[in-house]
Amino acid sequence: MAEQFDAIVVGAGPSGNAATYTLAKAGLKVLQIERGEYPGSKNVQGAILYAQALEQIIPDFRDDAPLERHIIEQRMWMLDDNSFVGTHYRSDDYNKPPYNRYTIIRAQFDKWFSSKVREAGALLICETTVEHLLLDGDTVVGVHCDRMGGEVRADVVILADGVNSTLARKAGFHGEISSKNVALAVKEILFMPEETIQSRFNIKEDEGVVIELMGTVTEGMVGTGFLYTNKDSLTIGVGCMLSDFKANPKKTTPYALLEKLKRHPSVAPLIEGGEMKEYAAHLIPEGGFNAVPKIFGNGWMIVGDSGGFVNAAHREGSNLAMTTGRLAAETVIAARAAGRPMTARTLKAYKDALDESFVMKDLKKYRNLPDVLEKSPQFFTTYPELVNRAAKTLFTVDGVDKMTKQREITGSFKSARKFTGLVGDAIKLWRATR
Amino acid sequence: MSAAVNVEDKLFQNRYKVDHGRPHIQIKDAAICANDCAEQQCTYVCPAACYTAEGNGAVTLITDGCLECGSCRVICTEHTNVAWEYPRGGHGILFKFG
Repeated sequence: MAEQFDAIVVGAGPSGNAATYTLAKAGLKVLQIERGEYPGSKNVQGAILYAQALEQIIPDFRDDAPLERHIIEQRMWMLDDNSFVGTHYRSDDYNKPPYNRYTIIRAQFDKWFSSKVREAGALLICETTVEHLLLDGDTVVGVHCDRMGGEVRADVVILADGVNSTLARKAGFHGEISSKNVALAVKEILFMPEETIQSRFNIKEDEGVVIELMGTVTEGMVGTGFLYTNKDSLTIGVGCMLSDFKANPKKTTPYALLEKLKRHPSVAPLIEGGEMKEYAAHLIPEGGFNAVPKIFGNGWMIVGDSGGFVNAAHREGSNLAMTTGRLAAETVIAARAAGRPMTARTLKAYKDALDESFVMKDLKKYRNLPDVLEKSPQFFTTYPELVNRAAKTLFTVDGVDKMTKQREITGSFKSARKFTGLVGDAIKLWRATR
Repeated sequence: MSAAVNVEDKLFQNRYKVDHGRPHIQIKDAAICANDCAEQQCTYVCPAACYTAEGNGAVTLITDGCLECGSCRVICTEHTNVAWEYPRGGHGILFKFG
């Protein structure tokens, strides 16, 4: 195929759509290639949409984007096997537009985003898998796909091909992902009437609740669970580091873990009666700052999950994806305007822009967290157990005097972690998150 | 886990377009799984239970229910015995909700 494009974007998730949209809006001739039947059909997320990153690209997205509920309440739960201790933050400030974040259903959202991309003038080809990059020496000159006569060429190729980052790996730009740097998450979507969701979660129409949880449900593995309210469905899921799944002596399957979460006595009443309509699994790049590979070179840039742009500590990913996609596109636009070739030298501006943005600043802030958590499974099992035991001791009225109860609680913490362990854990966590 | 969980019931809800006769993932050398891999972690880590530990020590792979997460490839570090590609365009899992 002789046709030459200004840019090719591989993938139609949040980063690929952000990049393609930005390029097309600037008048560039862009080809976007998506392997799914339609944009979204291969994509999996929790899913929470943070408004700000999308606002920068499509300011009036609220007019017609398929948004489920805006979030007015955030719950954080620490579970043992029978109970939870939690904090709930609910504010009416989150009920004032413009709303800060929403639950979304990715297959619908990505389809909508893609319609904006096409309106902006980009050419989208679906049901086409890019098999490998076309290289001229170490310069990417195009892609080879399983349709359309194979080869398509462009001045620059933006890799938005997702967490497995197949194309950059095959081209030798980086190696295989480490199982310590990705979480494996599984989830289900459970349908039930809107009114049921609203009464169970104490919310009105369009209002939503997010529950993030951790504890014994992950069997000592580093991981968390979540429960999100959509319009007429709930999303429930659990994810743990892939290396932990692999090394778990109990050999628990991801779906058994999800089932265990669904049957937890604090969770089961919330999801009761929900009709399960889809089961999904996905890897989440959680290696953070130290795991970000080389993200640009001669004729190529990496955006989104493919570059590991996820802030695991804050459960943010799609906003980083959209921001990296936009910044990569802006780099191309500026380079063209200046008449510069798409060499590594030129595209370094993308890395510089990322370093200046919240994306790399946030990843840098938490750069030691993945390592600390990996070496401290007590945060995910021992502490939730201790806290739940303490709450039970404190709130059970049984004739035992309060001072004795207090000693029992202090004693349980000390015997589980020792005084030095408790102080050490506090310091470790503070250092990794300050 | 004591509670038996039937993953088939979960996968049954999903939509797939199976590329018959062209599995996108393959075990490179079956003998390596049977003889050199004691733990066979793919048989319990795969979220779609595509890998089965057979009684005779072999591991069999059926990719029809694959969710395309990539876990099997990433964990097979000692032997790198998983040849992993995305399905041909339009094939494989087709998420309705994602």
